Amino acid sequence: MATPSDTLDKVGAGLDALDVPVEAHKPPIWRRFLKTGVPPIIAFALLLGVWQALWASAILPEFRLPAPVNVWNELVRSIGTGEAFGILWTSLHRAVFGFIAAVLIATPLGLLVAKVRVVRAGIGSLLTGLQSLPSVAWVPAAILWFGVTPSTIYFVVLMGSVPSIANGLVAGIDQIPPLLPRVGRALGAGRLASARHILLPAALPGYLAGLKQGWAFSWRSLMAAEIIATSPQLGTGLGQYLHNGSSLNDINMVIAAIFLILLVGIGIELLLFRPLERAVLRARGLTGAL
Amino acid sequence: MTATLETTVLSTVDTAVELAGVRKVFGHGSSAVVALDGVDLKVKPGEFVCLLGASGCGKSTLLNIVAGLDGATSGELQLNTSRPAVMFQEPALMPWLTAARNVELALRFAGVGRLARKRRALELLELVRLGDVADKRPHELSGGMRQRVALARALASTTVSADGAPALLLMDEPFAALDAITRDVLQSELLRVWETTNTAIIFVTHDVREAVRLGQRVVLLSSRPGRVVREWDVTDSSDTVLDEINTHLREVISGHAV
Repeated sequence: MATPSDTLDKVGAGLDALDVPVEAHKPPIWRRFLKTGVPPIIAFALLLGVWQALWASAILPEFRLPAPVNVWNELVRSIGTGEAFGILWTSLHRAVFGFIAAVLIATPLGLLVAKVRVVRAGIGSLLTGLQSLPSVAWVPAAILWFGVTPSTIYFVVLMGSVPSIANGLVAGIDQIPPLLPRVGRALGAGRLASARHILLPAALPGYLAGLKQGWAFSWRSLMAAEIIATSPQLGTGLGQYLHNGSSLNDINMVIAAIFLILLVGIGIELLLFRPLERAVLRARGLTGAL
Repeated sequence: MTATLETTVLSTVDTAVELAGVRKVFGHGSSAVVALDGVDLKVKPGEFVCLLGASGCGKSTLLNIVAGLDGATSGELQLNTSRPAVMFQEPALMPWLTAARNVELALRFAGVGRLARKRRALELLELVRLGDVADKRPHELSGGMRQRVALARALASTTVSADGAPALLLMDEPFAALDAITRDVLQSELLRVWETTNTAIIFVTHDVREAVRLGQRVVLLSSRPGRVVREWDVTDSSDTVLDEINTHLREVISGHAV
């Protein structure tokens, strides 16, 4: 004869069996490629087709709208001579160093703004305002302060990316459900343990969004600075390459430079931020947008 | 039931929690609200007490004061227990940690070493019959399972002390957001865990049936301000007690009709 508590245990076991999540079947690689890889390729091919058709129709003169194949040849030439790698390296290492410096400055800044009321009241809105100020506006001032030197370029990159990263972290912390830090306190977490084990991980999605935006801002700020502040001692980055193309009236070079700038942006997004973001969101069950 | 737990040594102290004339006022001046007005309450080690009351009776406030999350305006609170554990209406698990890691978090804050932490967390998950889903994240678990993980985590934070102080678990309507069948199962689960671990429990609820089923003692609080109205011993609960408590609760509530 089963006691009531035995029956309940059975009910509980049944509930658990019903509740155990069903492992989602992962589609094979070729099918995933078909779904996510093919559409952008088709879109790119269509774009190329339209470009080729426009060029063939000869509505615009050649020095305004180059043939796709000429741009391609310029790219192949600069890669073949190794010029492209030098240019990419110059710009990329500036962007990466600038970005890392921005992260190191913006993270404590964001924490301060988020957690210290006086600091938020004082510079919170300034930080948001700086975010909407195009960082190219800093270039003239930076040239007057630092001359045409790497300092100018790094200054502009920092002014572009620090506000985004700090604001992302602030938004991430503001969106933490208040119950989580409370639970932390109930479990005996001190201020530091709470920041390390609860606040920072809970704010990670917002922080990551800020990092992503911060990278985009540091990359475009860098391009703006490189296009305006050109001098032999700065070496040739992508911005200077673009600037040179414009000075030489070489539309092939200009389009090739734009193409390379885009390539870096898309590459970093696909290789770094997209996988990071996916891992973070998937771990939290936020898979709606993936 | 294979999980063995170090049952806390029965201490010579005969009260785990003692509240004397606890008063809590929110706000100042004319807008001040008295949430608790002179509450006296004693809980013995290993005792299961249910705090019953309608909305606004300050049950949660009282629990927060015992938990140390909130301070009393006046009155005295004495705890002869290890750090009290709290369970809320929501499981409030960290969404980026697996079930096991969530339980371990409590032990980490208590300074338990890595290996001991892992072992103990698994032990506690076994206790709430969730050993199989230790590696799942909260979003992969059902509401009832999440609340059981929260129970394991709460137990982890209170039964950890080595000095043999009795454990204390504070529960703030932990099953209110669950469906009827799950609630039923979890209530029996809680009783089983309580019997195995010898933990004192203060359980806040507005459900008379739940209070009578779970508790050894039911304490009825009045609303605005919260005061202890009456207590019932419900170790051998009968329908007459249930009716009696219901009548009293209705009286307390209808007293507020305008």
